[in-house]
This record gives sequence, C-alpha cells and structure tokens, in this order.
Amino acid sequence: MKKTSIILFLLMVLSPGLFAQSISLENVRSANLRNADVIREGSEVKGYYFFYVSDKIDKRTNEYTLKITDQNLITLKEIKFQDSRDVSVLESAFNGTDLIFLFYNEKERTFEYQTYGADGKKKFTYNRELSKKEIKLLEATYFADEEQTYKGLYPIDGEGFISNMPSREDKDYTFQIDFFSTTKKKQWTYIPTSGGKRFLGDYLGTNNGVVFLEVLKFSGTMDQKPDSYILGLNKETGKVLFENPTENNKYRFYPGSMNVVNGKSYIFGEFFELNANILKDKSLGFSFIQLDEKGKTVSEKFNSWDLDLGKFLDVSSKGRIADFGYMYVHQMVQVASGDVYAIGEGYRKVASGLGIAAQALGAGGVAAIKIRITDLILIQFDKDFNVKGAKVYPKNDNPIELPQGMGLASGPLLAKAIKYNFGGFDYAYTQVNNDRTAFSVCYTDYIKDKEKDYKGRTFNAISYNDGKITQDMITTKSKASSSRVMQAAQGKVLIIEYFKKDKKLEGHIEKLN
Amino acid sequence: MIIRFFVLSIVLSIIVSATAQDATSYELLKDDSILKKQYFDISMKKKEQLLRSVGKEYAKDYKEIYELQFTEIGKLWSSSRPITSTTTNNYLQSIVKKIIDVNPELQGNDARIVFSRDWWPNAVSMGDGSIVINAGLVTGMDNEAEIVFVICHELAHYYLEHTQNSIRKVVTQQNSEEFKKEVKRLSKEQYRVNEQYNKLFNSISFDSRRHSRENEAEADRFAFHFLKNTGYSADAINTCLIKLDRIDDSLLTAPLYLERVFNFTSYPFNNKWVKEESSIFSGINKSESTLTKEEKDSLKTHPECSKRMEWLADSITKISGQGKNFLVDSVYFNSIRKDFALEIMEQCYRDENLSRNLYFAIEYLNRHPDNPVAVYNIGRALNDLYMLQRDHKMGYTIDPEKRTYSPEYNRLLKMLVKIRLSELGDLAYYFIRQYDPVMKGYPGYQDLLVTAIENRRNKE
Repeated sequence: MKKTSIILFLLMVLSPGLFAQSISLENVRSANLRNADVIREGSEVKGYYFFYVSDKIDKRTNEYTLKITDQNLITLKEIKFQDSRDVSVLESAFNGTDLIFLFYNEKERTFEYQTYGADGKKKFTYNRELSKKEIKLLEATYFADEEQTYKGLYPIDGEGFISNMPSREDKDYTFQIDFFSTTKKKQWTYIPTSGGKRFLGDYLGTNNGVVFLEVLKFSGTMDQKPDSYILGLNKETGKVLFENPTENNKYRFYPGSMNVVNGKSYIFGEFFELNANILKDKSLGFSFIQLDEKGKTVSEKFNSWDLDLGKFLDVSSKGRIADFGYMYVHQMVQVASGDVYAIGEGYRKVASGLGIAAQALGAGGVAAIKIRITDLILIQFDKDFNVKGAKVYPKNDNPIELPQGMGLASGPLLAKAIKYNFGGFDYAYTQVNNDRTAFSVCYTDYIKDKEKDYKGRTFNAISYNDGKITQDMITTKSKASSSRVMQAAQGKVLIIEYFKKDKKLEGHIEKLN
Repeated sequence: MIIRFFVLSIVLSIIVSATAQDATSYELLKDDSILKKQYFDISMKKKEQLLRSVGKEYAKDYKEIYELQFTEIGKLWSSSRPITSTTTNNYLQSIVKKIIDVNPELQGNDARIVFSRDWWPNAVSMGDGSIVINAGLVTGMDNEAEIVFVICHELAHYYLEHTQNSIRKVVTQQNSEEFKKEVKRLSKEQYRVNEQYNKLFNSISFDSRRHSRENEAEADRFAFHFLKNTGYSADAINTCLIKLDRIDDSLLTAPLYLERVFNFTSYPFNNKWVKEESSIFSGINKSESTLTKEEKDSLKTHPECSKRMEWLADSITKISGQGKNFLVDSVYFNSIRKDFALEIMEQCYRDENLSRNLYFAIEYLNRHPDNPVAVYNIGRALNDLYMLQRDHKMGYTIDPEKRTYSPEYNRLLKMLVKIRLSELGDLAYYFIRQYDPVMKGYPGYQDLLVTAIENRRNKE
C-alpha cells in the first residue's frame, strides 16, 4: 500500500476561495493519491472527498478528518475520528441517496465499508477480513492501479452498492462480489470458484432484480484463452440465476458495457469468430445483445467492420482503419434518443528505432516494436443498432515503447496492456449525465507547434449535447510543479495544481464548451 | 393602399420613437473624486500618526495590524464603492449634522461617513473615522430615523475608540507571557497538538468575540443617547433592529421567474437548465452545525437583536411616540432607495460578480418591466458570461451554488452552470433582441446587440 503513489499528503486547512469553485490546501507535504478523489453516482461526479491526518493522538493512533464536499468543492461535512495510523480511504460512491466509503486498515488487513445517509449520519458498517494472499493479489492489482482506472464500488439507485474486488480462494485467483444494502443492514457475497482456476469479473449493471456480470474463466494460471460468460445474480440474495457463454452458433462476443433502455437490458461489445481468443484476436465488429432476466438472448445485432462500418470508414474486415490503425473501444454510450456511440482510440504497431538500436547493441530491455497511439474515433449507431456514422477526431500520435519480449504479443493484447498496465492511451474518461442527453469524452493531447501562442499539454473534450457534437480544449500548462485534471460534474473539470515550493495544492473548476 | 401603408408606417415610427424616448439612460450617481481623495489623504495621515505613536513595546505587531487595517481603508477610498455624489452626500451629511449638532461629545469629531454601493446589508466603523453605510442596508430601511440609529451606533464605536481598544487588547494578549509559554510548550509536543492549538486559539477567539459583543451593547447605549437628542423617533431603534434580525433571511430571495424572463417565441426556455439533481447529504438542513449552542453564541460578534432591544426597552419606552421618522427629506430618502438598487446592480458588475449582477438586474426588471438599466445589465452580463465561458473563465465571475444561499439564487446559479456555450449565445441574443423596441435609443444597446450577433456567428 505504501508503494501506491505517495505524491501528496494533505494535512490541514481546506479553505474555499472567493468564488469557491476552487480549493486551497496549505501545509501539504505528501499524500496518497487515493486519499483525495471524486465521489461518483455512475459516471456523474457528485462531490469530492479529502482524507487526511488531522492530529496525532499517540504513537499508534491518529485523528483523521474525512472532508466531504459537493460538486463545487463546498464542504458539506467533516467526519473526525481516531483510528490506527494504518488506515486509509480507498474509494467512495454515491447512489442518489447514500454515500459509501471503503476504508483499508493495512495492519489489521481489513476492509471496512461505511455508509452514510442523506442526513449525513452514519448508517451501516460492513467488514471484510483479508488474507495475506488476498493482500498480495490486491497489491498486484487494485492497489497498484495508480491511474485509478479500476473502480470497485458501484451504486444501485437508493438501495445500496455493489463491490467488486480481487480475491483469493485456496489456490484460485478470483474476485468477490458484495452487495451492501443502505436501506437496512444486509449484505451478500458471491465468489466464483467452479469451472476454472482463475477468474476475472466485470460488473456490467443491475436491472429488474438481476446483477449482470461479465466473467472470464481461465483453466490455469498459464491459460491465455479464457472462456467468457454472462453471469446473472439475484440482487436480493446473491444467488446465481444464470451463467451463459457469450456466444451463439456463429460468433463469440465480449461484453464491454450494459445499458438499460425502457426497462430492457442491452449488452454492448465487440464480436469475434466462434473459436477466437477474445483477449488476443482482432474483433469482427460490434455486437448488441438484448438479454432477459433469465439471461436468454431476446435480440441480437452484429455490425461487421467491412460490410457495415466500411460504408463510413476505409476499414478492413479485421478492423484496420486507414491512417488510424485498430480501434481500442474505451466505452459505449447510449443516449436518450436511442443512438449508441462507440468511443475508441487508434493504435498500431510500428518499428521502434530505440528498440532496434538497443537490440543491435545487445543492450536489450526495449522491444523492436512499439505501439503508436493515434486518433480518437466516435462511431454512431441508431436505435436499432445500425451504423449511422463515424468520425475520426485527430490528435497527436503518442508512441509507447514496450519491454523486450512484448513485441511478439498480439495487437489487441498489447492494447489491453497499454490501457491497464502502462496507462498509455490519451483517453481519460467519458461522463454521461443522468437523463443521457449529454456526454463528454475527455482526453489529453499537446501542442508543440512553435508558431502557436501556447505550447504544452492540453485537456480536450468531445461533447454530445442533445444531438449536437462540439469540441473543446483547455490548456493545462501553468506555473505549478505538477497538475492533474480530475473529473467534475457533467460538462466540467477540476484542475488540481501542486506548487512544490509553496507546499500548496490548489484546484479550480472549469466548464467545458 | 400605398398611402394607407405610408401613413401606417409614419404612425409606427412615431410610436417606436416615443417608446425609445422612455429608454433614457439612468445616470449612475457621479462621484466626487476630490472628496474621495481628501478622505483617502485624511486616512493616510491618521495611519502615519498611529505608526508614529507606536512605542517600542510590541511595535512590530502594532505596525502589522495597522498596515492591514489601513490597507482595507485605502482600498475603500480608492475603489468605486463609496457614493460621494454631491446631492446624495449632502443629504447624508445633513442627517449627520442633525446628530452632531445636538451631541456635544461628537462635536469636533472627524468622522467621515459615506454610503457605499455594497449590496450586503451592513454598516461599519473602520476605526479611523471612516464610516460606511452600505446601500444594501439603506434599501432595507423605511425611514431616516432607522438610518440615524445605524449612524449613531457606528459613531459611538468611533467615539468610544472600540477598534483601537480591541487592537491593543489582541496585541497585549498575544504577547503575554502565559500565551507565549503555551505556544512554546506546544511546539515541543508530539501528540494532540492540533487539539491543544485549537483550544488555545478558541479561548482567545471566544474572548475577543465576547469583548466585541460588549462593545456592541455599549455602542447601542450610546447610539440611543445620541439619537434621543436629535428629534428623531426612538421607536425606529426597535423597527430597525427587527429588520436587522430578519434581513439575512430575506437576502436574494425575491423570485426571478427565469422561465418567463428567458422565454422567447423563437427560443423557448429549456427546463433542463434548472433541473434538480440528486446531491450528497441532501437531507442535511443548512442550519445544521457541529457547534454547540454555547460555541455558536461565543462565535457571534453581535448580540441577538432581541437582546439588544430588551436592553434598550426601558429607555425607548420612556420617550416612545416622541420624535419624527424624517427630519431632512422623506422624498429624497425614497428616491435614493430606488437609485441604490441600481447602484448595487452596477457595483456587482464592477466587482466582476456577474451572477449577483444578473440576479439584481432580473429582480429589478421583474419589479419594473422594460426598465432599460435592468435590460442593459442583463444583456451585458449574458454577453460577458458567453465570452468568459468561451475562454473557460466563467467560474471566476459567478458564485457556486451553496446550501446557504436562497433557492432562487441557487436556481440562477444552476442555470449558469448548466447552460451550454451555444445556448448562452442564443439566450443573450434573443433576450437583447426582444427589447429592441424599448431599448433602441439606450446608449450601448446597439453594441450589446452587435456583440450578441457576433458571438452567435462565431460559435457556428
């Protein structure tokens, strides 16, 4: 845990500025990145939390302050408590009514989930003890996730929260799904252990009493070709309702996200040849599957790269888009009109001058192949999931050097590694508002043109608003020692700047156009 | 037919120009820069005198506090906040004269009293004789006598040297052996340091606020004494205190009717702009606080208005029914209350607080339909907000939503945050264009319209 990005340590005062969509934290020494973060309801930011040591009580005990602010950084509540010096906050979420915080006690090896009601009072506390093996697994996965792309807490509107965390059961590497109720003290746990030796699970969503999960099962630790399933759990009990392979008699598909439209559950993703390896092989296109509460397919639609997307893009049957490369799908969003947008970023393998030179000199360390991250792309589908349009949004290419040996891996696998291990994509996040009439795709870029007024990093947004798409750019270079753009309420961003010399952390909210 | 049309067009042009004549510009009160400079110079001379008078003991602390105090005073006299226009200032000085002439203690007193354009209901004695009565307070009062009580209260603070006494007390306390010893001890402590620091500073803070409350009570007693001699009604003390007690609850609460003000045939109001969303701790009452009742009371600088009325009740009863509400000019008093609403609106714009500028302008427009100053202010604020948002700087000029603000003001803030750039451009354009018939002759109106058209064109 101590390894995880010790950058800033929030200590004392958090005082709103004059126009208060800003914060200023004095006496900042260092801090764990996870100890200050956004509080989300789905993809919408509803506030922020700041967790810091406010006093030392004795050798083993600290006084902690958990400061909770609204979207505008105005303090709503300060929770002070004394606990062992080994406590930190890992995550938080909001379900429209209640808040949940996940506390981690490194020494005691425990997770504690605390829930707070709309009145600001603590409601229920749920605990999980972690084995040493689980700690090791978490250190390699969840704790090591400095970019915080991995989120373990998901809200269920007004009812509670789903937690998805890596877990160890005997020799199996698996995951643990918990439901924590906020209406009464109630919890259930589900841990998959049968049909494989290694399990990866993604929470897709909850609808009509069913918790939908995507599960990959590996027969062993060395298995590179997992089986994929959609798992349905009873929201009330956690009991398995169904576990169906993600394939029909023609294709195999890999679910990326789930949307609920008019009470119906739709799983969006990419599809592959029937015997393909969904981790390594190139997809054939996009799939849209409607499932009922028993996991049965009600309807399905497959859009192939060449036949369907080819009308709008110069693309091969394996999905190679001219001057763009392959598309890594970051997210799929359905808007109120029924249209679906697939948001992706291009990547392609190119020769690495550095890698070739290193190998020629016998130095090694760097692969002769590198990945070049290219442009952003939005593919639009209509409400019946037919391709309606596609547009590439140019940005600067971004080369990613690979460690020696990785150059032999397949493109899709390398793309996943870039997403989850190297954090190499420029895409930052997508935010959708509650009524799905607006979303913003945010990404970083840079301007290096000497003739331009500004040179340096930029934060960019492609925003959809009631059918119109606009683009915006915010310049982020400043006098600060370092800066970070954090999510803010829909259509806004929070820019955090750290001034090392002054030991000062400042933040201000900017609205995207 | 042609003749008929010709006649009709002449009639129409007469109507338009007649309406346009209504769009005469409200002349903002013209300040007397010489007077402001004079007041500034007096304050700076006082600063020099004070700095010279500081002895060797705690000289650094005194100098630091005086620097801070006079920086604020200097900022006041250098800003556009004081209202020093000849007529308004003469009116105020006539009221002040009524007080000074009948109170020998105050004669020879060099207090410089001004109205300010500040929107919040307050009055302040800055310690060097500069006394400011905010426009936001004047617009909430009903007669001269109520304003006279406020002036007497602030004059009493100056006469009783409350500011200087408080500075002396703070400096002495923070240089006491006991305090220094405690700070030194804490610097060596390892555990519960913040808790102990908080205790130490709270004790000083509570003590200084208690002292402040005592000063307020004393200023009230002297204010009664000063007012009693003037011929103004002492009953105004009660009515004034009742208003002060409620004034915070009535701030920014007037309904704005955004759906009506920003609804146009070609561009209807979009309810999405003000749609409520789920929020964290929505059930927490805005008045909820973690402080105990004793702590809350201790943190107040002023005693409760009910207590202040109670302390003065016997004295007021004795002369109740005597005296008048107006001794100088009731007509002018009512006219400045109206003028001050416009001055407040303009000052918010000068202070670059566009959300408040917009709030006061919309509120004024609702009370005075087609008022050109309000229309101009709204159009100008919308155009400015468009350009600021285009450059990602809107956040610096609007307040964020706060639970302590009234729902009406928060609704406006929500709209400003939610509205998209292109929508803001459209809104500004349709709003400004709607008032074309009324505003044609108004200075600056054409520029507003041109800017709105340009902004819309640029977004496309």
